[in-house]
Amino acid sequence: MSVVKSPVLSDLAVRIIPCLDVAAGRVVKGTNFKQLVDMGDPIELAQKYQQQGADELVFLDIKASIDSQASALEMVKKVAMNLSIPFAVGGGIKNIEDVHRFFHAGADKVTLNSMALAQPELIDNIARHYGSQSIVVAIDVNLEPDGSHAIYSHGGSRRTNLNYQHWLNEVVTRGAGEILLTAMHKDGTGSGFDCDLLAAFGTNFPIQVIASGGAKKTKDFLDAIQAGADAVLAAGLFHRNEYTVGEIKDYLIQNNIPIRTTL
Amino acid sequence: MTNQNTRPIVIIDLNSGNLLSLENALKENGENVRRIARPEDHHFTGDELIVLPGQGRFAYVTARIDELNWRHFLNRWLAEGGHLVGICVGMQVLFEGSEEDPESQGLGFLKGRCQRLNHAKTPMIGWAKLDSYKLNMKDQYAYFVNSYAALNSPYATAKVNYGDSFCAAVQKNSVYGFQFHPEKSGRFGRELLQHVCG
Repeated sequence: MSVVKSPVLSDLAVRIIPCLDVAAGRVVKGTNFKQLVDMGDPIELAQKYQQQGADELVFLDIKASIDSQASALEMVKKVAMNLSIPFAVGGGIKNIEDVHRFFHAGADKVTLNSMALAQPELIDNIARHYGSQSIVVAIDVNLEPDGSHAIYSHGGSRRTNLNYQHWLNEVVTRGAGEILLTAMHKDGTGSGFDCDLLAAFGTNFPIQVIASGGAKKTKDFLDAIQAGADAVLAAGLFHRNEYTVGEIKDYLIQNNIPIRTTL
Repeated sequence: MTNQNTRPIVIIDLNSGNLLSLENALKENGENVRRIARPEDHHFTGDELIVLPGQGRFAYVTARIDELNWRHFLNRWLAEGGHLVGICVGMQVLFEGSEEDPESQGLGFLKGRCQRLNHAKTPMIGWAKLDSYKLNMKDQYAYFVNSYAALNSPYATAKVNYGDSFCAAVQKNSVYGFQFHPEKSGRFGRELLQHVCG
C-alpha cells in the first residue's frame, strides 16, 4: 500500500499558468499595471510557453476598452489554431454577446474582473450558458494601510466598497468555476505571493484558486502551493526569461508537488 | 505519411460548445473532416469515424441528440460496429444515464450510469495522470473538465482519481470514450487522436 498523500482522493496536478498581458496586439508588462514594456508577439510567446510545459495560458487584453475588439478576437482565433492546451481570455468583456464571440473564436474560458463587479449577474448568465468551468473571476485585492482587504476594479485603479469575504462568497454562489486572486500589494514587487490570503481559503473552499502577483523565485511558487493555491499564475518572470516554466516545474517536482510532466 | 488511408471523420455538431479546437486537432490527421448537425447532412458509407463531442449538461446533450435525429442513427451505428469517439459528455451519453439529469436517457451502449464526483471542488478542472494499461495512455497527463463521470466499467482503459476513482477512457470494439479533452491535452492528446483516427 502506498502512503496516502492527501486526505481527499485527487490526481489533479497543480497548474503553472503564464499570463500574457496584451495591448494593441503585443504582449506587455508593467509594474502595478503602469509603465508598459513590450515583451513580444502573443502567438510566439504562447507557443514557447506551451513547449516549456505550461499547463494553461491566460491572455488579458489590458487596453481592450480603447482598442477595437476585432483585434482581440483575431488573436484568440490564432491562439486557438496554434495551441493544444487550454487558454482563458479576459479584458473588454461587457456582455454575454462578447462572451459568445470569445468562445466562438476558440477560447476555453473567459476571465471577468471589472464587469463581474459592475454586473455580477453576468457570472450567472455565463455559468448557465457554458457551465462554471468556463468562467474565471479575477479579483484584485489590496491590503490597505488599516489592515483591511479592499477589492479594486478597472485594472487596480478604482477602489470599491465591497467586503472581500462577501465578494468571494458571491462569486462562488453565482457560479464562477475558478478565482484568479491577485494581491495588488504584491504585484510586480517580487516579494512572493500573499500566502496568508491563500491559506485563508482552506481545503473545503468549493472552487479552485489561482494565485497571482508577486512571484520572483522558485520558492515563491512552492510557498503559494503549500499555502493552498490550486494553480499559480505569473507573467514578468517568464517574459523576462528569468525562469522557464520547466525550471519552475522541476523545482516543484523535487519538492513533491504533483506537477504535470510531458513524456 | 500520406492521409490516403485514414478514414473520413464526421464531427457531430450538437451546438453545445466550441468545436474549433477539436476540428483543428482532427485536421492534423488529414483534411477529410466534416462537421454536420444532422445525420441526413452526410452520405454515410459506414467507413467513417464519428466524433461525438459534448459540453454542457447531460440533459442538453441527450435532448439535442433527439432533436437533431441522431438517436436512432447512433444506436444502429453502434450496433453495427461503426467507429465512434465520444468526448467528455459525449462519452457519458454512451452510458445509460447520469445522476446529473436522472430523467434523461443515454444511448445505453455501455452499462451503468454517471455519478457526481465526490470532491469539495467541482467541476474538476485541470490535468491528471492516467492510470492505464494502454501504452498510448499509460502515465500521460490529460486535461479534464467535469463534475460527473462513470465510476466503473468493464470497458475502462484508463482511470483517474478525483474524490472517486472514475473512468477516464473506455473502449468497446471500435468505440472509444474519453472523459478528458484530448484536443486540449497537449502533444499526448494530439497523438491519441491520431491513433484513434488511424
